[in-house]
Amino acid sequence: MATDTAAQLGSETSAGDRARARKRAPGEPRNVAWLYILPGLLFYGLFTLAPLAHTVELSFFDWDGLTVGHYIGLGNYREALDDPLVRDSFRHSAELIVFYALLPVALGLLLTAILTRHPVRGFTFFRTALFLPQMIAGVVVAQAWVWIYADNGPLNEFLRDVGLGSLARPWLGDFSWALPAVGGIGTWVTYGLCMVLFIAGAQSIPASLYDAARVDGAGAVREFFAVTLPALRNQVVVAFVLTTINALRSFDVIYNATSGGPGTTTYVPSFYMYRNAFVFNRVGYAAAIAVILTAAIFTLAGIVLYVSSRGDEG
Amino acid sequence: MNRHLSRHLAIAAAVVTVIAAAGCGGTPGSSPGSGGSTPTGAVQKSGFQKLGPVHLTIWSYDNQDPGLEPVLKELSANFEKQYPNVKITMVFKDFNSLVNVVPRALASGSGPDITEGNQGYQTDAQLVKAKLIVPLDRYIKAYGWDKWYSPSTWSMFRWTDDGTTFGKGPTWGVAQTGQNINVYVNTQKLKQLGYDPSNMPQTFDEFNSMLADMRSKLPKSEPVIEFGNNEGYGTIHMFGGIQAAFFSPQDERNWIQHVPGSTWDTPDNIKALEAYQAWAKNGYFNSDYNALKYDQSAAEFAKGKGVFWMGGDWDASIIKSGLGDNAAVINIPPGQSGTWAGVGGLSGPWHISSKTKYPDLAAAWLNYIIASPEAQKLMYEQQQIPSPSDAIAPPAGDPFLTQVTDAFRQVADDDGLMLYTDWASPTMYDTLASNFQDLLAGRISAQDMAKTVQDDWEKFDQTLQQ
Repeated sequence: MATDTAAQLGSETSAGDRARARKRAPGEPRNVAWLYILPGLLFYGLFTLAPLAHTVELSFFDWDGLTVGHYIGLGNYREALDDPLVRDSFRHSAELIVFYALLPVALGLLLTAILTRHPVRGFTFFRTALFLPQMIAGVVVAQAWVWIYADNGPLNEFLRDVGLGSLARPWLGDFSWALPAVGGIGTWVTYGLCMVLFIAGAQSIPASLYDAARVDGAGAVREFFAVTLPALRNQVVVAFVLTTINALRSFDVIYNATSGGPGTTTYVPSFYMYRNAFVFNRVGYAAAIAVILTAAIFTLAGIVLYVSSRGDEG
Repeated sequence: MNRHLSRHLAIAAAVVTVIAAAGCGGTPGSSPGSGGSTPTGAVQKSGFQKLGPVHLTIWSYDNQDPGLEPVLKELSANFEKQYPNVKITMVFKDFNSLVNVVPRALASGSGPDITEGNQGYQTDAQLVKAKLIVPLDRYIKAYGWDKWYSPSTWSMFRWTDDGTTFGKGPTWGVAQTGQNINVYVNTQKLKQLGYDPSNMPQTFDEFNSMLADMRSKLPKSEPVIEFGNNEGYGTIHMFGGIQAAFFSPQDERNWIQHVPGSTWDTPDNIKALEAYQAWAKNGYFNSDYNALKYDQSAAEFAKGKGVFWMGGDWDASIIKSGLGDNAAVINIPPGQSGTWAGVGGLSGPWHISSKTKYPDLAAAWLNYIIASPEAQKLMYEQQQIPSPSDAIAPPAGDPFLTQVTDAFRQVADDDGLMLYTDWASPTMYDTLASNFQDLLAGRISAQDMAKTVQDDWEKFDQTLQQ
């Protein structure tokens, strides 16, 4: 990625003084490009790559975080693969992807379709209001939803008021419903981000396309699938990648709303990793879980990007 | 990709590798100076004015409802008045934020001079093993602290230097208040249900039948026991009194301290787990107990929900401020052994950092906040029980506080403080919290739980043998 930028930078510069720099092939980057990318590379290396490498290194040790560690090779990874809580955590994360990624993207598309077809007064206000959840700290979000989901909270009160009292339950304390309830919080947080991305994309769709569709007699649904959705493909891919990463990294909401409970029904990898690193004094094992989680995130993001790029060619 | 581009890529990769390698520091934890020094020689007990300007940083998690926070603040202000050259910064954090951070804070060298830890393998064993705190034996001798607690109570502060044997070796902490899991009673409701607050059950069986009787009399929406277990420690606390009706307190303490041959997986303990499961099955609790936080349930009880609330005596003031004269305190009564017992011990252990420049001054502060009559008076004002056995009596004319104090003494005098079950291993808190939730929901059996908990214990026990 960094080198691409360097190549572009270099080629722009070299275009001007091609005559003097005969030794370089046309478009060949000059070494001065390194100066431009050095600060970024340094920061990236220091604050992203070095900690990542350190985490990988720690994952080969049995270390309590304080006293001298012991090298145990792949021991932590072998244990993690055998640990039912690791497996459960990843399974829960997979379920959360539905709530953190699929639903918000679907909701964001629906809202975009409505808002672009029927511009409403105070559009900017609604856009800001719907985006707001994204800007609130996770701890605050969790506290608010703990209240909403409480036995006497607004959600249950509403259900009882409309005669659906049999559905009312202490959502976050229910073995079957705690994970979907946490997922619901994720949907609420994320759909605003998707919507803002999609609306920004939709604004660059030429009005002539819509006019053409209408002339051809397309209705709202047809218009959406024929014009809006194809034009938003890149935004949808970006939204999927971002929200999937969010789903797999989710920690603050779980930590504050359920602490992994009831039982272990809302354990997710990042929560289990935190318990190991800071509570069980097993930093090496936590590092191994972190590495597995990172690999999972890379793989999923890679799959999303690969699938979407294949679509480009076909 | 042409040859030049690949050369650039190679340079980039090299730079990145060098930076990344800088992040790797060889064997973790092997850098020198992670621990400090242990003070020796005669203990300085006074004359700290001559030290020149001193800044002490103290960390505490006793800041709930409002707990000991006002006590500690006032005592520290007094201490500063006595020694005008001493400046104290009190930092309050919630329990988890403190214990999960303090080992690394102490190791960094810029952590607190004095801090609370937590008894057990999760926190204190780590602090001892990494030499982050100092043994207090010279101060115990110099100030005569030894008469504060019974030997079995002192054992919760004792560790061998390597942090593996719990209950033996030097003493590393002292604590301010006594902790006991009380049964708080709403006497108004109790009377309405036909029971006499001055004639409460004296055996576990009687107590159990009373709960069943109340369940049949109360409307379905009203819990017999108001319960908050969102965090998972509510169950650990509540179970102690039930467990003690079947299982000997000494066996429980031995198990927590990893005395060889100890086990949780016994027929008696399984009976206790079954009795507890029956409470949930019989519907004694509010249905949202897994969603409700511990402190929220205390607040609900204080507002009049439920006949009983079981929780720490450190929460006495919130109950009293809600129920006033309708609040009373008992313990879960004993089983056939007749021994009054339950989960309990002393409050968070105060430790002196091995990196502080003023260990003797720190010890003087500890002596002041625990042993001085003004400290004990302030603790009673916050409905907290001073830990020393030779503490002053609670103020007359406060029957509720007297009951709280008596409840603690009843258990302490019977050698029935069973300590906290989760001290038994670093992972035990999580294992207990999730298994109790599964047990109460009927998703696992008492046998399953006893076995899972014992497996956790044995897995950790093996690491202690290495």
